[in-house]
Amino acid sequence: MKSPLQALEAMWVKRAADYRKEILPYLGYMGQSGFLLVLSFIAITSGFGYIKLLRDVPPDFPFTLVGVIALVPVLCWSPLRTWLVSADIVFHLPLEARMGHYLFRSFRRSLLLTVVIAGLVLLLYWPLYRHGDGLAGGWWLLLFAAGLRAVNTWGAWQERLLAWPGMRVLLRLLRWLATAAAWTAMLSREPWMAVVFGVLIFALLALVYRIPARHAFPWERLIEEEARTRRTTYLFFGLFIDVPSMASRSTPRRYLSWALRWIRYRHANTFVYLYAASLIRTELGGIIVRLGLLSALIVYWFAEAVWLSGWGAAAAYAVLMLILAVQLGGLRRVHSFTVWRHVYPLPDAKRTESIVRVDSVVLAIAALLVWLPAGITLLISGCPLPAAAAPVIMIAYAWLLRPGRMKRKIVREDDEE
Amino acid sequence: MEFEGEKMTEPILKVESLTGGYSPRRPVLHNVSFDIRPGEMVGLIGLNGAGKSTTIKHILGLMKPHDGGVQVNGVALEENQERYRSAFAYVPETPVLFDELTVEEHLKLTGMAYNVDGSVFEDRKERLLAEFQMTAKRGAFASHLSKGMKQKVMIMNALLSEPPLYIIDEPFLGLDPLGIRSLLERLVEVKQKGSAILMSSHILATVEAYCDRFIVMHHGVVAAQGNLEEVCAAAGTEMRSGGLEDAFYKLVTGDRS
Repeated sequence: MKSPLQALEAMWVKRAADYRKEILPYLGYMGQSGFLLVLSFIAITSGFGYIKLLRDVPPDFPFTLVGVIALVPVLCWSPLRTWLVSADIVFHLPLEARMGHYLFRSFRRSLLLTVVIAGLVLLLYWPLYRHGDGLAGGWWLLLFAAGLRAVNTWGAWQERLLAWPGMRVLLRLLRWLATAAAWTAMLSREPWMAVVFGVLIFALLALVYRIPARHAFPWERLIEEEARTRRTTYLFFGLFIDVPSMASRSTPRRYLSWALRWIRYRHANTFVYLYAASLIRTELGGIIVRLGLLSALIVYWFAEAVWLSGWGAAAAYAVLMLILAVQLGGLRRVHSFTVWRHVYPLPDAKRTESIVRVDSVVLAIAALLVWLPAGITLLISGCPLPAAAAPVIMIAYAWLLRPGRMKRKIVREDDEE
Repeated sequence: MEFEGEKMTEPILKVESLTGGYSPRRPVLHNVSFDIRPGEMVGLIGLNGAGKSTTIKHILGLMKPHDGGVQVNGVALEENQERYRSAFAYVPETPVLFDELTVEEHLKLTGMAYNVDGSVFEDRKERLLAEFQMTAKRGAFASHLSKGMKQKVMIMNALLSEPPLYIIDEPFLGLDPLGIRSLLERLVEVKQKGSAILMSSHILATVEAYCDRFIVMHHGVVAAQGNLEEVCAAAGTEMRSGGLEDAFYKLVTGDRS
């Protein structure tokens, strides 16, 4: 018979192994999809770009700023896989005092992962840093980064213990700011000054951590974090293959919710209303918004460079909008298993029609908004043809071609079920 | 939704020789028959696994009968989907809400789905929110509601469309005392207006007090049905002695001593 401590440890090991087994097939699908090919292509091209930059670094290059942007996220990010689920509150609550033993492996895993990532990024940054006039040597950077990494792992755990969500967010922000400030100091000042500064602000932060109310063991927080990590992982795998549907998290997104009031109160609009709300408030909506912003930025850069007299921007726009359209297509899988689909006095064809309508309207709006900054830039640069042609073609696709295709896809998938 | 006057005496729900279940080889329901007329409240009672939920799923059209059939508002689902579906509202055993919609938005969605007129909708919505003490929670998302509140939202949605038939599965689970009272008061009210109610519940005292007739299911068959007198007679008990609970106990344990 195992002692409770051994049993806890065995449980951790088993859960970790189960998880690896669970995601293994999805890694296979990811490999088949060509995603790794794209990733290595991006790595190779950016590698060449970086080498070119190193050969000929402009004198006014912002070494410190780039160092902060590159390293602060990897020094601060402190994930913690605990494999905890809701049932643990019922079955393992009596073992709360011993859960530290269980979490030891979680911390070890987290530290290993984050140290390796931070080390790699530091290694990449090192040649660039040497071109600048930073005073600290390699060992200073390495030791200081290791110190910051350890302090952040500790700090992230302190934040998990806090009882109030608002305080948690505030302290996390403070931790990131403190790390950024200390790292900036190390890259731009005498190393000993940076160390003194770092010790001072983190001592202050440690005192602040003591003030708010704390849990002895943050069960709910850890369970929620674990569930969120799982959702994100599956959402990522969802790009390559159908994944088991998990309860998706919804956020109010008030800055978009006003759009719902525009949908008229009519029998025929029932599913339009539901799907518009789902798109606005589920993770899918978040992805579309982030992807849209990123696309707008990238297309704007291409437009500003007036690459290929503006057609370069149009090409980048076409590729990015295609990715956005594929993501948006995920809307058809939302609520496909809800009981109300069968209970509401509406034919199922109406649901299909509504999904297609929401999809094409949103795609057309996104097409316009993503292009707007680039289009204006191209007009100013005197390239009216690509400036006008790109959005017209994309909106025409959204309005004319896309609905038929989407409808056929939904009907086909419904038949397969 | 308005009732059709000439249909008042016709059953709103008719289950005829229904045999069904998930697998055709192993039916859960065997030759189940009953009907419900407008203005009737009927209690569907039975132990866990007796076939109540399967019966309800067949009525909703979520499962296909192996034999026999279900008619709602005079039609089978295949004959006229819209007429069939618009005739009833359903309250499931566990609340099934959309996490991304608020309480008020759920009501709006139901109003649209059941084609409730816009101005009528506003009045009914306000009344239901007040009656179920949910006015302060109108903007809350379903994922932030307690279980009892979720159940209230389900019930409010069912009442909103004022259909001729209500199918209610275990409505009292998680409801607070005020919620139970509001629900029962409203059910009596809609019944008096002519709606029919099929209610599945384990709270036999409430079922006995409020229902006009009872359907006792056991092992997938109707063990007894009718008013209290008829059910007691089928169980071989006296109506005065222990009422529905006594009769139910005898029917499901086979103890007729």
